[in-house]
Amino acid sequence: MTLAGLTVKNIGHNWLRTVLTVLGVAIAILSFVLIRTTIDAWETAAKHGAQDRLSTINRVTFVMPLPKRYFQEFNGERGKIEGVTHATWANWFGGKHATREGEFFANFAVDTDSYFDVYQDMAVPPDQLAAWKEDRQGAIIGEALAKQFDWNVGDDVTLVGTIYPGEWKFHIRGIYVATKKSVDRAQFIFHWDYLNENLPPDRRDMIGWIASTVDSAGRAAAVSEAIDKEFDDEDVQTRTMSEQAMNKEFLGGASAILGALDIVSLIIMLIMMLVLGNTIAMGVRERTQEYGVLLALGFRPRHIAAFVVGEGVTIGLLGGGLGLLIAYPLIEQGVGRFLEENMGAWFPYFSIPPEVAAMALGFAALLAAIAAGIPAYRATKLDVIDALRRLA
Amino acid sequence: MSEATAERSDAKKPAKTARPIIECRGITRTFWRAKERLDVLDGLDLDIAEGSFEALMGPSGSGKTTLLNLIAGLDRPTAGKLVVAGTEVSAMGDAALARWRSQTIGFVFQHFNLIPVLTALENVELPLLLTKLPASERKKRAQIALRVVGLEDRMHHRPQQLSGGQEQRVGIARAIVHDPKIIVADEPTGELDRHSADDVLALLEKLNTEFDKTILMVTHDPAAAARATIVHKLDKGRLT
Repeated sequence: MTLAGLTVKNIGHNWLRTVLTVLGVAIAILSFVLIRTTIDAWETAAKHGAQDRLSTINRVTFVMPLPKRYFQEFNGERGKIEGVTHATWANWFGGKHATREGEFFANFAVDTDSYFDVYQDMAVPPDQLAAWKEDRQGAIIGEALAKQFDWNVGDDVTLVGTIYPGEWKFHIRGIYVATKKSVDRAQFIFHWDYLNENLPPDRRDMIGWIASTVDSAGRAAAVSEAIDKEFDDEDVQTRTMSEQAMNKEFLGGASAILGALDIVSLIIMLIMMLVLGNTIAMGVRERTQEYGVLLALGFRPRHIAAFVVGEGVTIGLLGGGLGLLIAYPLIEQGVGRFLEENMGAWFPYFSIPPEVAAMALGFAALLAAIAAGIPAYRATKLDVIDALRRLA
Repeated sequence: MSEATAERSDAKKPAKTARPIIECRGITRTFWRAKERLDVLDGLDLDIAEGSFEALMGPSGSGKTTLLNLIAGLDRPTAGKLVVAGTEVSAMGDAALARWRSQTIGFVFQHFNLIPVLTALENVELPLLLTKLPASERKKRAQIALRVVGLEDRMHHRPQQLSGGQEQRVGIARAIVHDPKIIVADEPTGELDRHSADDVLALLEKLNTEFDKTILMVTHDPAAAARATIVHKLDKGRLT
């Protein structure tokens, strides 16, 4: 037996209480990991957004369109804007599944010739890409969306337009696979021409945004400025920024929610610390006589403090470890898979980041040590004779 | 030590040496309860000879346990000089006193005070955790101590799996495992039936006669006191 071994064995004094406390800590850690993973998944798109891909939108708001002719400045007269290597455009469609309208997914009308030159992090098999380009009603969908609605290549599907009313019929011609974490794996992409020719004349030839790649991420800011300067004298001015910056700006709207989740996760840890502190304090109180015996045998108050803190940390780590053991299968195989398949637009990758797991375990140990601090301090102040007199 | 303050319980068992291992000179221990002064020990003089087996008797509140605590280094006198095993314990600091206790004193408690989550072997090994002995040596010494008290076949049992008498014998093994010069026992038979008490007293006698341990025992039990070489009687903080 060693002093460390004695510390660990001390958690066996009241098994029921120890088990319940460990379970309490495990649930707190599970909640913490789930919340932090949610926040991380939400921020993933922003964190991993391309820095060398620019988005040009209406300066007033991204909801308002741009004239399609602006694209000519990028493409028709390529080279006019220095630093731009590829450009494309897209338009938010806002369609919904005909029968499962509550299940959101992003759907865009895009330029078939240039879209996948700019979005090279969406890999489409060449034969499917060719078939899509040939079919005016063709659509390419993400693998997560295909799984969500059980859609396959060759299927005929109907979307109900919200911005563009009516029933819109498509043929699934391809399924793309994301090669980067930031890419939404549940998009629905179809021909802009198909949309445009079916609109009333006054709504035609407008696009949502222009996406372009630059030859160097380091020049993104300068190129953005050059693009916006190009349209300064037009009726509709533009605002250009990197995809990463745009994602961050979009997330800014949800910052209050993310901040609230952050606070909730910390409150959970605080509650865990109080539960642990209570358990440890009860244990110390019940074992006062035992500590008196140890002091009589020659153990020093610092030994007693180390036993108390060590016991707390052991319980904290056991609870933390158990919480992670539950969290991994629950999140990686259960909740995470469900969210990726059904809410892929919001959570393209829902997986426990290693740093969140490490933080959870670290917090469990650290907060347990802090929780044990007061009982440990009190234990060091025990008078050996008073402690020996105390009946267990 | 004057003859008036002590009586021999058995003329056949004289103290082995006249050299005192415990010397109390003018020991006073005063406690304050609110504003009330309690002189539990009042200028007490006492010598305990090395290698002797002596008992302290007296009514409740007479100061027996207080004196035992002072001699064991658990407490310090308010006044007086206390020398135990050549060390003036009344002048030692907390850390030195704890180290001294761990090397010099073996404790036997009335309520056994074993750690319930540890086996008999682990309980006995406890005092050795404060030494630099390797784990294998600690275990070996704990096994020997349990063999001395006749519990080698119970070393992997937990306290709740032992009888009261066996628990106290484990307590005695814990008291001797680090080979202390002095064993202090506070009512060691107080929780035991007659048969178990006799076993424990026989064991203490054995430690005194065969292993030369100086034993100082506080007891209310005349049968236990009868095993001691000398019985000191206290009343109101003074030897009578």
